[in-house]
This record gives sequence, C-alpha cells and structure tokens, in this order.
Amino acid sequence: MAVERLEKTLGKNKVLRGISFSAQAGEIFGLLGPNGAGKTTTLRIISTLLSADSGKVRVMGFDTRKAPEDVRRRVGVVTADIGVYPRLSARENIVYFARLSEVRETDVKGRVDAVIERLDIGSFADQRAESLSSGQKQKVAIARAIVHDPQVLMFDEPTSNLDVLASKEVREFMVESKGRGKCVIFSTHVMHDAERLCDRITILHEGQVVASGPTAEVRGSRLELEDAFLELVGAK
Amino acid sequence: MRAAWIVYRKELIEIVRDRRTLIAIGIAALATPIVLSVISQVASRTATQTYTIGYTGEIPVGLDVLFQATSLKLVQVVDPAVAAKQQVDVGVAFRPGGEIDEYYDPSRQGAQIASTRLETILGQYDAAQADAALRSRGIDPGILTPLHLVAHPLSSPVQAASNAFLSFFLPYILVTMILTGGFSAALDSTAGERERKTLESLLLTPAPRSRLLLGKIAAVTSISLVAAVAAIVSMFVALSQVSLPGRSGSNHITLNPVAIPVMVWVALLIAISFSSVTLALGTLAKSFRQGQAYVTPLYFITIFPASIILFIPDFNPNLAYYLVPILNAVLVLRDAIVHNAVEWPNLAVTTISLVGTGALSWYAALRLFTREALLTRS
Repeated sequence: MAVERLEKTLGKNKVLRGISFSAQAGEIFGLLGPNGAGKTTTLRIISTLLSADSGKVRVMGFDTRKAPEDVRRRVGVVTADIGVYPRLSARENIVYFARLSEVRETDVKGRVDAVIERLDIGSFADQRAESLSSGQKQKVAIARAIVHDPQVLMFDEPTSNLDVLASKEVREFMVESKGRGKCVIFSTHVMHDAERLCDRITILHEGQVVASGPTAEVRGSRLELEDAFLELVGAK
Repeated sequence: MRAAWIVYRKELIEIVRDRRTLIAIGIAALATPIVLSVISQVASRTATQTYTIGYTGEIPVGLDVLFQATSLKLVQVVDPAVAAKQQVDVGVAFRPGGEIDEYYDPSRQGAQIASTRLETILGQYDAAQADAALRSRGIDPGILTPLHLVAHPLSSPVQAASNAFLSFFLPYILVTMILTGGFSAALDSTAGERERKTLESLLLTPAPRSRLLLGKIAAVTSISLVAAVAAIVSMFVALSQVSLPGRSGSNHITLNPVAIPVMVWVALLIAISFSSVTLALGTLAKSFRQGQAYVTPLYFITIFPASIILFIPDFNPNLAYYLVPILNAVLVLRDAIVHNAVEWPNLAVTTISLVGTGALSWYAALRLFTREALLTRS
C-alpha cells in the first residue's frame, strides 16, 4: 500500500500537506500523531471514502481514484466508533457485511462461522447487537471488517472506547493478522501501544510527516517512543 | 442489483423489529375504525335524539301530536326566552290569534336542529289546516301548489352520500398513511445510520452507493404501502360494520370498483416518490431527531393543499392542478370515487408529476449520499 504526496482540504482546513509513506504485507505499520494530525483523513482516503485533492494512493496495485470498488474489496477498516445494527444479531450483522462485500452466497455461512470462531463470538453470536457490551460490539465490528478476508487491515484508534481486557484482545488480533501475512495499518495516539506493536511508524503532525521509519529507529536513543514523539511535535 | 436486494432485506428486517414503525402502523389500522365508529354513533344519536321545546300559552289543537311524532318534547316553562338559554333547546310562546314567538341560541347545535324541526312541523300543520279549511268549503287544495316538482335523481342517493363520504376520507387517509408510515423507516435508514455510526462501515463495502440507496428506497416504499393498505383495509372492515343514517334508513358505504386500481396506482406513485424525498432529507440530517425536524414540515406542506381542496364542494380544477404532487393524487382519487370513471389526462399528468418528483428526489438523495460531507460533517 503506497501513499504519495497526499493533500486534502476539508472546509477551510488544510488537513494533509503532501504526506507519503508505504506499508507492506506481513507488518504492522503505525500511523501516529496527535488529534487533528490527519490520521483518520488519511485512512479515509486510502479506503476511498474521501478523495484526495492531489497525490496518489495505490492498494495492491489498484488506484483509489480509478478503481475504488477494487480497493474496497481488498481493505477492511475497524474504527473507534463501534457502530453495529442494534436490531440485528451479531451474526446477522456479520452476514450482512459478508454479502455486501461480495462473498459468494455458498461461502457466506462458512466465512461467517470461521470469523465467529476466530474472534470467539460464538457465545453471543445470536444475541441482538443492542444488548452487547462495548468489547463484544468491537469484536463484531472487527468480524464484519475481515469477513471478506481483505489483504489490508486498517485500525483507526480501535481501542479508544474499550476497557483493558477488550483492548488486549484487539492488539492480539492485530499481531495475529500480521502473522497471517496481512498488511496491518494501526492509527493511534497511544505511543505505548505503537511501540509494542508496530514494525514501522510514520508520525504526522499538522498534516505533515515529521518522522518515518522502523519504530526503534524513530525512537533513537530516547527511553520511550513518547519522548521522541513529543520532541518531534514540538511539545518538549 | 444484488447489493440493493441485500440492503432491502436487511432494512425490512430492521423495520419489522422496530417498535416505532409497528406502533405507527398499528395505530393507523386501529384509528380509522375507532373514528368511523364514533362518527356513526354521533350521527345516529343526532338523528334519533329528542329535543325539548319549552312553551307558554295554549298549544293549537293537534299540534302536540305532530310534536311527539318528530321527537320534540313539549315542556311548560315560565319564560321561554330565559329557558331557551340553558333549560330547553327552543323556547316558544303561543300567543292568541296564532302568533308564535320562538327563542333559541344559534350558537348551540341542538337549538339549531330543534328550531329546524319546529319550522318543519309548523309548516306541515299550516298546510294541513289550510287543506282542511279549503276542503270544508269545497275548494281543491291543489290551488295552493300550482307547480309540482317531481325529482328524478340520476344516481342512487345512498351511493352519492357514500361517495361524498369516501371522497373526503379515503384520499386523506391514504396520503397521510403513506407519508407517516415510511417516515420512521426512512429516517432510521439514513439519519439513524449516521447517528449509530454504521454509515462508514456500509460505505466501505464495494457495493455502489446507488445500489445501497435503491435498497433503502425500496424498503421504505414497501413499508409505506403496508401502512396505507393496513389503514384502508381496516377502514373498509369498519365501514362494513357501521352505517350512516339516511332518509331511507341506515346505509352502508361502498367503494366504486374503478377507484380500487386508481387507488393502488396512486398509492404506489406517492410511496415511491416520497420515500425518495424523505430519504434525501434524512441524509441531510445528522440525527434521527434532526431528521424529524426536516421531514415534519414536509408532511404539512404536502397535506395542507389537499386538505383545503377536500373542504371545497364541487371544486373543478383544471389540468395544471394535477401537476402539484399529493394534491394531484387526492384529486385523481376523488374523481374516481365520485364519478366512477378514470379521467385519463388527469391520471397521466399526475403520474408524470409524481414520477418526476420521485426522480428528482432520487437524484438529490444520491447526490447527498455520495458527497464527502456525509462523513465529515459530524
């Protein structure tokens, strides 16, 4: 997945000012930055929800402008907003997205059962989503994002509304996906999580890349990644 | 089209499980029979109710018998003018020499009805007295009525009353139920989707947005039609049970056969076009509540002209009136019910108008559904 000189203005606010980076299969790539740095806008452009003013994004060889539907077939996105359909069961939520993601009708049941087992959703799969806890809803949100087996997985602040246990499960899932050869993009402002999980990181500040490279390299000689981050964004 | 079908099925499941929509349809189905039952009872009671005439003086011979036959009860009072204010419906003072003073309060409906009956009775009494006096002198009473009017109604008076009743209520119920029946579902599938933060996930699927929107419109259209059918079926079930009093006794109300296909066609057109309108407005809203604020004025704007027209007797609109959405549907339906015939030019203009409204709304909804602000305005 490659991003080249991306620029984007929303209203009067220039959110992205020519950012570039790339992420590979089999790695967790961290997109770090304070709130308002442009992380979510970048992920939305990659997933074709927004279009860039200039610059280019390619996902597995597909240009987001020219082939948005091909890109969406290969991308799964998990956000902090755990929106599920409250009057559908957990299983029905996942089935709905499997079908919309063009999983063949004969494969839908098998795929859904597989993600339910993988994410340990079985005990509440047939409960209405409105009765689920935040952690359970987040599992459903992850399940619907991966049910079509995308090669690129994007996590946008996925643990910000979760408790400690649920957050741990999400982090474990990202590591597991990396082990399966997926390209995992992890957007966060929690430096501790990024330091533990990410192979490489890019730090955004005010719509610009202020540092990029392997996590250890960006941290340098500082004790923690957070120190490097604070220095880079001019807060220290 | 597979994506549209998938969305349609899912939306219907959610609608069926949504108490708000089911309650709206349930109320629609129950409200009509209840209203009709009340109307029927009030009408029957008014027709058979006994009204009281407070009087002073000597009652002319034979007049008391006529009073009893027409459910007017005579009560002697001290002052008929005072009694007519509250105690009785009409006050009457029989003076010597045949003069009668009548006192009644026109602001009281009962007083108006009693007064009309009183005038009728006195007219009949005068005619009978004149008839008897002329006959006793060997004169033909026919000289008092040199002209004889013989009425030949070209349609059944019962059917005419039935048509008048249906042409007033049926279009109103049909339009109201279509608009309100899909109201909640339309907002839930647009503003509600934004509010519960499922919209982004939906737009992340490879399904084209036009197909997603098509599925939603089809679902809202379906539920609008279900609401309308529930209201109309319940209305006809209620009409088969109740009757309205008429000159020839109690009359059941029946619908002209021509009106049924016209009603189905018009209902379908309104449901499709207004599903698109409400979805477009719902897409503009950030929450269900904001969506209600957008859609509620739409209901009043569309239903208001139709309501006014229904109160104008024998309103004969030209073809241009049939270009106004909703008003045209009400007029076409009224034509079919009253005249038992389809006015094809009117129906064609109505169809073009409603299809055009639907197409424009579809285009607007699609534009709104594909703009970036849908996600960034939060």
